[in-house]
Amino acid sequence: MKKAIGLALAVLATSVVAASAQGAQKGSSAIAAGVNCKGTMKIAFLTPLTGGAGFLGNEQGSWAKYAVKTLAPAMHLKIQLVMGDTPVEQGAAVAQTLAQKYVGDPKVVGIIGPSTSGAVVAATQTFFQAGLAHISPSATKTDLTKRENGKLEGTPAFFRDVPGDYIQGPTDANYMIKTLHVKKVVIMDFQEPYSTGLAAAVERTLKAGGVSTSRLSASNTTTDYSAFVTKVPNDADIVFFPTQKPGDAQTFAQQLLEQGKKAKVFGGDGSNGPGQFKAPGSYVSNFAPDITGIKADAKIIAGWKKDNPKSEVGSFGPPSYGAVQIMLTAIKRACAADHGVIKARHDVLRQMKKVKISNWILGGKFAFSTKSNDPLNAKFYIFKIQQDGSYKLVG
Amino acid sequence: MDQFTQLTVDALTLGSVYALIALGYTLIYGVLKLLNFAHGDVFMVGSFIGFGVLQLLGGTDNPVVPVWALLTIVTFAAMAGCAALGVAIERFAYRPLRDAPRIAPLISALGVSFFLANSMQLLFGADPRNYNTFDLSNGALYLRGIDLGNVRVPLLRIITIVAAFVLMVMLWFLVNRTRTGKAMRATSFDREAAAMMGIDIDRVIVFTFVLGSALAGAAGVLFAVRVPTTVSIGFVAGLKGFTAAVIGGIGSIPGAMAGGLILGFAESYTQGYVSTKWSDLVVFSILIAFMIFRPQGLLGRPDISKV
Repeated sequence: MKKAIGLALAVLATSVVAASAQGAQKGSSAIAAGVNCKGTMKIAFLTPLTGGAGFLGNEQGSWAKYAVKTLAPAMHLKIQLVMGDTPVEQGAAVAQTLAQKYVGDPKVVGIIGPSTSGAVVAATQTFFQAGLAHISPSATKTDLTKRENGKLEGTPAFFRDVPGDYIQGPTDANYMIKTLHVKKVVIMDFQEPYSTGLAAAVERTLKAGGVSTSRLSASNTTTDYSAFVTKVPNDADIVFFPTQKPGDAQTFAQQLLEQGKKAKVFGGDGSNGPGQFKAPGSYVSNFAPDITGIKADAKIIAGWKKDNPKSEVGSFGPPSYGAVQIMLTAIKRACAADHGVIKARHDVLRQMKKVKISNWILGGKFAFSTKSNDPLNAKFYIFKIQQDGSYKLVG
Repeated sequence: MDQFTQLTVDALTLGSVYALIALGYTLIYGVLKLLNFAHGDVFMVGSFIGFGVLQLLGGTDNPVVPVWALLTIVTFAAMAGCAALGVAIERFAYRPLRDAPRIAPLISALGVSFFLANSMQLLFGADPRNYNTFDLSNGALYLRGIDLGNVRVPLLRIITIVAAFVLMVMLWFLVNRTRTGKAMRATSFDREAAAMMGIDIDRVIVFTFVLGSALAGAAGVLFAVRVPTTVSIGFVAGLKGFTAAVIGGIGSIPGAMAGGLILGFAESYTQGYVSTKWSDLVVFSILIAFMIFRPQGLLGRPDISKV
């Protein structure tokens, strides 16, 4: 028996070492030299297509595909969108491996994503060394674009078209203080960059506002939260739950009811999933409003719905459409500056910051901040979940 | 005291599901000396079969049968589906390698695990499947139950714990008190000698896979009635089940039950009394401690090599 178990552990260990080695290869500085703008160019999208956050990647992917389909021909570009799966459960190695793959493909001139903050941390150095611009439609961790506690995890090659947790954290916490008048809040994190960063940002503002806080920490693979719910005090008003899996927020809300706890769940943008997190009375924040209320988007929504008849418009898709729009505009500008041949990937990267979009899909106009690679004047929105499971904008 | 009671209920719920998974590992190891790493994925398939049957019966919004019948049908359907899957896995992935070096079926098991996870992904997509049992009878399964002091043990947890223990008792009876069980024990003890005594080894092995996989199917449903399931759930569940089987003594049926419960209690009490961050660390430290100080597990028999 010992031999068999030893053998099994050896096989598992070999697999892990092989996977780690694959992910740890040094970043290549290969450049797509001389990509003709009249030929087919590629942009790659790194997002979780499988696993607990698979819904997010599939929603983002459908909007990115629609953006490429409709915007590229209008800009006289031939673009092929390639999708790379970065399941949140598999950690950083997958994103790093995919980054190597896309850097090695000379036709790839821009990257959308990675969608999650942890994957951005893992991949951004590789993209930066290759001069590849990448723009995330959902990675919100503060230190990807701004120095926090002396640390900057992102690189100058990283951009995002959604605001960071330095806005989300105070927005959520201030809503709890000023509108919900909370006295005691329990804050969860999931031992990965997105949730620990957001949890810390919320905790800071709550403490500054005189709210009593306590912290719980679960691993990213936790499925049953009973023991965590047991530790939630009976008089806690809110459990802040910044998961990337909305189904887990639903489970937590149900288990709170099961144990007779009065606290409501308040999720971050990662918990925003109307089909999965639908416990009435709970709250979620998100970087995108409900775009179905924006008149200028009616044509885009109708076109996307035609391609995705069984899907509903969510909050993660529209920023992906926007990210593709920004990337295509930068490519177009690089093509114009380089007289029809992109000489180096850096040329696209140089154009990113200059992109300005007038009819922005999330409303108003889009431009990057001069101080960071974040959008100018972006904000977070707060939704309350209604009895029928729908999300109502409340803040 | 309330916290202790609540954590104990959590531990029993979690531990009983781990025990059912561990039993599958232990049964198959006992008879074939094979660590069936695809077992966690059979568990995952069971939870999906349960979800599919639940939808066929009207889902939790509009069930066409009473709640007790709904849960029973869903559980038995998952058990039957997983039993069939177990037979297919044995026939196509393990039987051709029965006389091959031990590493071959082990690698085949890992291959089957990936095959199942990826096939399910292709067939059903990545979205989590939530049974939404909270919607049954206006949340009665969650909000009604037995009060122990200030702690309410909800009906759904009672059902989970009782169902798991009934299945374990039935398995114990089958293995220890029936002719088929005797054949299984004989095959486990010495496959060649059992064959010489007229026992149909192939049949015993297939039956073992039927039993182990059916238990995984039941565990899949008992797990997924409380938390959402995904195609990736099999890896962690399989790892915990395997750990429980090793702690209890792989090959020992009471050991697997004990191992599952030990794991459930260790996880729950660590989260409650030590730190929520430390539960996996404690669980796998227990595994390492057993491997060093008692490699045969709690109730397993030590390997004796004839020299």
